[in-house]
Amino acid sequence: MSTTVTTTAAPVFAPKVRRMTLKRRRQFAGVVFALPAIALVVCFIGIPIGQAVYYSFTQWNGATSTWIGPSTWTQAFHNTNLWTALRNNGLLLLTVPFALALPLGIAVLLHQRVAGWRIFRSIYFLPTAISWVVLGLVAERFFAYQGTLNSIIHALGFSHVSTNMLGYQSEALIALGITFIFTMIGTNTMLFLTGLATLDPSLEEAARIDGAGRWRIFRSITLPHLSRFVQLAFVMTVIALFSALFSLIFVMTGGGPGYATTTMEFLIYETGFNQGDFGTAALYGLILFVITGIVGVVQLRLIGSNE
Amino acid sequence: MTTVLTPPTESGSHKEPPPLKPPPRRIGRWVLFGAMIVVAVIMLYPFFVMGVTSLKSESQFLSGGGFSWLSWSSLTSVIPVGQEVLSSTIVCSSSIFIILCVGLPAGFAFSKLRFRLSTVVFLVIVSAMMVPLQAILMPEFVNVTKLGLTGGYTGAILVYAALGTPFSVFLFTTYFRGVPDELIEAGIVDGLGYFGALWRLVLPIAVPAIATVTVLQFIQIWDDLLVGLLFIQNTSDRPITVGLAVLAAGRTTSIPELMAGSIISALPAMLVYLGFQRYLVKGLTMGIDR
Repeated sequence: MSTTVTTTAAPVFAPKVRRMTLKRRRQFAGVVFALPAIALVVCFIGIPIGQAVYYSFTQWNGATSTWIGPSTWTQAFHNTNLWTALRNNGLLLLTVPFALALPLGIAVLLHQRVAGWRIFRSIYFLPTAISWVVLGLVAERFFAYQGTLNSIIHALGFSHVSTNMLGYQSEALIALGITFIFTMIGTNTMLFLTGLATLDPSLEEAARIDGAGRWRIFRSITLPHLSRFVQLAFVMTVIALFSALFSLIFVMTGGGPGYATTTMEFLIYETGFNQGDFGTAALYGLILFVITGIVGVVQLRLIGSNE
Repeated sequence: MTTVLTPPTESGSHKEPPPLKPPPRRIGRWVLFGAMIVVAVIMLYPFFVMGVTSLKSESQFLSGGGFSWLSWSSLTSVIPVGQEVLSSTIVCSSSIFIILCVGLPAGFAFSKLRFRLSTVVFLVIVSAMMVPLQAILMPEFVNVTKLGLTGGYTGAILVYAALGTPFSVFLFTTYFRGVPDELIEAGIVDGLGYFGALWRLVLPIAVPAIATVTVLQFIQIWDDLLVGLLFIQNTSDRPITVGLAVLAAGRTTSIPELMAGSIISALPAMLVYLGFQRYLVKGLTMGIDR
C-alpha cells in the first residue's frame, strides 16, 4: 500500500522503475475496475442517506420542502403511530426464538439422514424460492374466517369455535408473526444444515462411546459447534423482521386493523405514499436505518471475527 | 440408504468408511420418518392450497365443492400474466447483468489490484448491504422520479442493481481472495493487460461465484414487491409479483384466479431454485465458511 519505493531493495535501476510503474498501473486498474460499483452504491444508497438526514428536518411533500428544524424530530416522537410501529416490531421479535429453534430441530432431523432425506431437504427449502407475496396470500387464506385454520378447529370437534385472526387488532399481529416464522424456516434450516455438515462425525461418535446421551451430545458438541451459524441466522432473521415484512403486510393486512400490524417499514410506506408526508417518512427511515445499523454492526463483527 | 436395512451394530462400523451418524434403533427411525413427513406436509401446504384452489371456479370456491378449469381459462383476462412475466424477466435479467458487470471487476480490484484506501472503500460498500431500501425510500423515490426513470423499467433496474451490488462485491472479493496471486500476475506479465486478465483469466475462474450471485439475485428480484411497486409507474409494465400483490390487496379479484397467478409467478423461481440449490446454499453461508 505504501507509495515509498526506497524500502524495496532493487539491485539494478531499471527493474526498480519498472516495478514502480507496474504497481501504479495496477492501482490505477484497481480504481477503474472498482469505480462502477462505487458509483452505483454512492448514487443510489450513499446520497439518499444524506438527503434523508436533510429532509428529516423539513416539511416535504416530494416536490417542495420547507426547513423546519429539529422540532420535526420531537414532533415525530410524540406521534403515537411511531410508537405503535416500534411496539409491533418489538413484539414480533418474540418470534425470533421460534424462527431459530424450529429450523434447528428440522436441520437435526434432516441430518439423521433417514431414507429419502435429500427429497425431504428439497421439499423443506421449496417455500424459500417463492415470493413472500404469494406466501402472504396463502397465509391470508389460512387465517381467514372461511379458511383452513377454522376447518382444522372444526374438524377437531370444536365446531362452535371460530377464529378470524386477521380481523382483530389483538390477534392480527400473532397471525403475521406465525407467517413470518414459516417464511424463515427454509433459509434458517439451510444455514443450520450447512453447519451440521461441517461437524466432524467422529466427535459425536467418541462422545457416544463415552456413554453420552443424545441430548447431552447435542448440547455439549453439536450446539457449540453451530454457535456461529446460530448467530448468523439470528442476525439475518432480525434484519428480515425489520426490512422484509412489507410484502406479507401489504397482502395480508395492509397494516391493519387500524395500525395493529404496521411495522416500521410499513409505516414509512404508509406515511410517505398514503399520507404524502415525505419528510416524516424520511425521518422514520432514518430511525429504521439506525436500528438495522446496530444489527449490522453485530453482523460485521461476526464476519470479521472469522477472518 | 443401506443403513436402514442392516441391523444396528455397536462396534461393527470401525473398518467401513464412517457413517455420518450412528444408526439409531428401528423404532427411532420410524419416529424420525414420521416427523419428517409432518414437516414436509406443512412446508408443502402453500403449494397444495395454490393448486387445489386454482382448480375451482369462484362459486365452487365459495361453496367448497367441485373442480373446474374455469379460473385457468379466464386467468389471462383477469391478470395479464404474459406481459407481467415478460416484465419480470426484463427487470430481473437487466439488473443481474448490471450487478455482475459491476461486481466482478470490483471484486477483482478489491482482492488483487488493491489501491490506496481500497480496504476502507470495500468495507463501506459491504456495510451498504445492511441498509434496507425502506430506510432511504423517500429520497430514492423522489430522485428516480425526478430523473424521469420511473416511466419504463430503468428506474427499477437501477435500484435493484444498486441494492444487489454490495453483496456481489462482497462475494466476488471473498471468492477471488482464494485465487493465488501468481495466476493473475503471470497473465499480466504475459502481456494480457488488466482488461485481458479480467476477461480471459478472472471471468472463467469466477463461474461458480457468478452462478451464486445470479441465483440469489434472481430469486430476490423476482420475488420482490416494493421496488417494482414504486419505481415502475405504468401499471401495464408491472412485474408479476407486483401485479399479484396489488390485486390481492384490492380484495376484488377472485381467490382461485389469484392462486392460479401465484402458481405462474412461483414456477420460474422454484425451477431456478431446484436446479441450482447448491449455489443458493453457498451464497447464504458465504463469509462463514469458504
